[in-house]
Amino acid sequence: MQRRTARLAAAAALTTISVLGLTACGGSGFSDTSDGAGEAGASGELTSSDDALSVLIAASGDAEATAVTDAVAAWSSESGTGAEVSVASDLPQQLSQGFASGEPADVFYLSTDALAGFAGNGSLLAYGDRLSNADDFYPALVDSFTVDDQFYCAPKDFSTLGLIINDDMWAEAGLTDADVPTDWDGLREVAAELTTADHVGLAFSPEYARVGAFMAQAGGTVTNAEGTEATLDSDENVEALTYVQELLASGDAAYSSDLGAGWGGEAFGTGAAAMTIEGNWIAGAMSADYPDVSYRVAELPAGPGGQGTLQFTNCWGIAADSPNQEAAVALVEQLTGTDQQLAFADAFGVMPSIESAAEEWKSANPDEAAFLDSVEFAQGVPTQDGSAAVIADFNSQLAGLEDGDPTTILESAQQNFAAILD
Amino acid sequence: MTAVVTKPPRRRSAATRGESLSGWLFVAPILVILGLFLAVPVLMALWVSVSDWTGRGSPFAAGVGFVGLDNYRELLSGGGLAERDFGISLRNNAWYVLLVVPIQTAVSLLLAVLVNRQVLRGRGFFRTAFYFPSVTSSVAITVLWLFLFSQSGAVNKVLSFVGITGPAWFNDASGVLHNLLGLVGVTRPPAFLAEHTALGVTLWDWLAGPSVAMSAFILMAVFTTSGTFMLLFLAALQNLGGDVQEAAMMDGANGWQRFWSITLPQLRPTLFTVLTLGLIGTWQVFDQIYTGTQGGPQKTTLTPAYLSYTSAFSDQEWGRGAAIAFVLFVIIVALTILQRIVLRERAVSTRRTALYTTGAGR
Amino acid sequence: MTATLPLEGATPAPSPLAAPPAAPRPAGRPRRSSARVAGTSVLYAVLIVIAVIYIAPFLINVATSFKTDPEAASDPLSLIPATATTAAYRQLFLNSDFPTWFANSAVVTVFVTAGRVFFNSLAGYALARLQFRGRGLIFVLLVGVMAVPTVVLLIPKFLVINQLGMYDSYSGMIVPLLTDAAGVFIMKNFFESIPRSVEEQARIDGAGTFRVFWSIVLPMARPALVTIVILSFQGSWNELSHFIVSTQSPQLTTLTKGVASLASGQLSQGSQYPIKLAAAAIMTVPVALVFFVFQRRIMNASDGAVKE
Repeated sequence: MQRRTARLAAAAALTTISVLGLTACGGSGFSDTSDGAGEAGASGELTSSDDALSVLIAASGDAEATAVTDAVAAWSSESGTGAEVSVASDLPQQLSQGFASGEPADVFYLSTDALAGFAGNGSLLAYGDRLSNADDFYPALVDSFTVDDQFYCAPKDFSTLGLIINDDMWAEAGLTDADVPTDWDGLREVAAELTTADHVGLAFSPEYARVGAFMAQAGGTVTNAEGTEATLDSDENVEALTYVQELLASGDAAYSSDLGAGWGGEAFGTGAAAMTIEGNWIAGAMSADYPDVSYRVAELPAGPGGQGTLQFTNCWGIAADSPNQEAAVALVEQLTGTDQQLAFADAFGVMPSIESAAEEWKSANPDEAAFLDSVEFAQGVPTQDGSAAVIADFNSQLAGLEDGDPTTILESAQQNFAAILD
Repeated sequence: MTAVVTKPPRRRSAATRGESLSGWLFVAPILVILGLFLAVPVLMALWVSVSDWTGRGSPFAAGVGFVGLDNYRELLSGGGLAERDFGISLRNNAWYVLLVVPIQTAVSLLLAVLVNRQVLRGRGFFRTAFYFPSVTSSVAITVLWLFLFSQSGAVNKVLSFVGITGPAWFNDASGVLHNLLGLVGVTRPPAFLAEHTALGVTLWDWLAGPSVAMSAFILMAVFTTSGTFMLLFLAALQNLGGDVQEAAMMDGANGWQRFWSITLPQLRPTLFTVLTLGLIGTWQVFDQIYTGTQGGPQKTTLTPAYLSYTSAFSDQEWGRGAAIAFVLFVIIVALTILQRIVLRERAVSTRRTALYTTGAGR
Repeated sequence: MTATLPLEGATPAPSPLAAPPAAPRPAGRPRRSSARVAGTSVLYAVLIVIAVIYIAPFLINVATSFKTDPEAASDPLSLIPATATTAAYRQLFLNSDFPTWFANSAVVTVFVTAGRVFFNSLAGYALARLQFRGRGLIFVLLVGVMAVPTVVLLIPKFLVINQLGMYDSYSGMIVPLLTDAAGVFIMKNFFESIPRSVEEQARIDGAGTFRVFWSIVLPMARPALVTIVILSFQGSWNELSHFIVSTQSPQLTTLTKGVASLASGQLSQGSQYPIKLAAAAIMTVPVALVFFVFQRRIMNASDGAVKE
């Protein structure tokens, strides 16, 4: 009898411990509701407290990390609110873990493909309209960060793709300024001229984020203008992929992965390719890792549908669970101001997301004017919820483009994309 | 070495009561820890897999709904990207298991037999050399492997010594079986294989074999686990009595026959352990993929374990991630049971028994 | 089983290591010995080739960590760098968080190893020697728990750690690892093999259960404890997925997580192999040391663990 009591007591104690453990300590989650507590709208109140802000970024290198840390520290001493910057080793994973744990960073980099998911589960504060410089952002960028008619977060900078040309290899092949390709045929010829036994004419990463520029040049798009229908299998896109396939098959162009490089910039910097298609970030990478290579930036050539390129942007996300949203918005406003954006542009090569800074940036960076001029015909990347997975699958099929069939690849991507639009 | 434990007579005394309490107290820590961090998570994952929790706040909060088997349905018959990714990951992992388990078992058995030879001097050295890779971290080995198997790496250099141009290994997504078939001229799939799909992947692609990149991982798996299993086989070999061997030798059996008919059957329990551990381990490949290729090239090193992780943490599809994990659980359990059935001790038929009872027939 | 024929070249090994005797040697056939010598040479040759295949990667690892980036790419096979440099190590220790990673791994490993030694032996002793209701059930549960593949636990362990408020802290990293079912089994099996007489004597002398366990039985369990130490050290030092889901801040990154991020190019653009291989090499050193120091014990102890 006594043994049984002892056993029951022990079992009860055990259960109690487990249940207590589950509910007591970190039970902040239990009182949460998981619907969209994210909009603060025009009438909503922003939280405010004395808590220091945590800023989570993904740095392309030391230059970016230092620049952001200094900027945030400057704001912090001015405003009196503490703020700390940490560099993520895996930003998407850390963001999602932060949101799930109920203690995310207050301010963080947010990419276009992550926006829809986090906006959908209420993790984000939609503060875009609260900024005093909300009208200054490029409309296309504002669009990228608008979900359900709410302008969620302020674009922090943006980049477009351009054609990066190795000056020495260019001269060696006997080419001059007049030979910079302005159309697809020109690109084909130039790539052929530049290909030697030691390097290929053109290299780029095997992903939509590069091949998509060709699709834009052919006049193709991922979705229709309203974003209601997928248009990946259009004839224009097929034409674009066929062109890329021919380039790859001819041996004058290659994927950077086939050259043993991690990205197009590495293939370019190590001299495995004479030209590459990359964005503004190449400036920072070249000066840090391959300072001896002299290069120039040109606009990408026009295709059958005119000129086209892709633009990439990230925004400053603010967490809905942040205890000090007021300070966070103030910080973002400072960081997206003209002076700060130009300072960032100077430090790690991106372009300011506000139109008023355009002229100043161009005069400060005449060599990279081509990037800014490309804004005219730049296409944004898809932002719908679930598009990241579709694009990832598209990328994995693009990697096999040389031996594959463009129509099949595009049809598969079309099917997947249509599924997420439903 | 297991001592025969005789239960002491149950005496209702203070000593026994104290012992009972001590017993519970002694196991309490492990019960709490294993309960909290093993048992409870499994139940929680089960709930998440049948719910629509999106990743914010607690999965037990008020707003989280029950969606039944939707996540599983989408995974196994949804017809979309989720099903296809799952099918691809299963295919990759299945080939990995198919190749790693037999090879690592055979290699470790071979090593054990070789190292066990009496004539061998320096047994300790060889044992250490073969076991050392097993103590290293999979992260360190993956980093090393990425270097050795790069396009201009050590392995391709060695291959070039014998005139073979090595592939790009971790960048090569072509299936090994497809490549072999291509060598004998079969490059287009027969219509039947190209049209029918299972889990969103055409049958022809199911038969692609592991990709060249996956093959590098297969080699890595054999490299790192053969040492552990070699030790298991060694221990078992050293327990084998020599008299049965002697008898067989008297009867004229040669070394190979002795190995197959005498040594191997006696190793059955160890063989079972090695195969089980191998199956369980190979179906959960994660660390190497996370560190090395993250599913590439072209999703040919995507495994269900890694897919479960990325679905949840990158794509915010927590329900799907949990569902993948449970389907994997079922697969592992089913295979383990299957293997147990296949390898069980079968009752010897009466005809055979007769052979033995009337003395060893000539 | 003792061999009846003396064998050429046999080391005087203790009987557990005795292999079955070689082919019986009928009298007066000199041809046999040369055949045997040939056979032995082949055996050695095969073993040496395989051993080279097993050791070479690690030698290349260390050698490459002392090369410059271009040399690592151009000359991957040579074991002596043309221009030896410690640039990779300098960058690792001075310009990165590597020392933090190392410290974190060390802290976690020490606590986890100590915890496992203590808790596993406690539970193993209880399951082996103490009579209490539910003991059988616990045993079955332990076996069941060992059957759960770790992949199933990846997501939910994160959720549980979260709910308990242990996310992104040392406790979240250490506590879930403080015990493992396999270790309990090893201790249980070992305790069952110790003769009861010593314990009974102590009981008669009036020692309580814990005293019997702590002062009498545990010291006798040294071989099994050493096994637990080795396995725990190895297990926690090399653990990756648990640290991925239980932490996110850079200050808590362990070696495995850090080197994994190195491999995917966080610290450097492009394929800078020497630094990655240097990190991999240093990461392997502690676990290799423990292995070499204790390897005798694990070879012998595993005999006991497996003979079930």
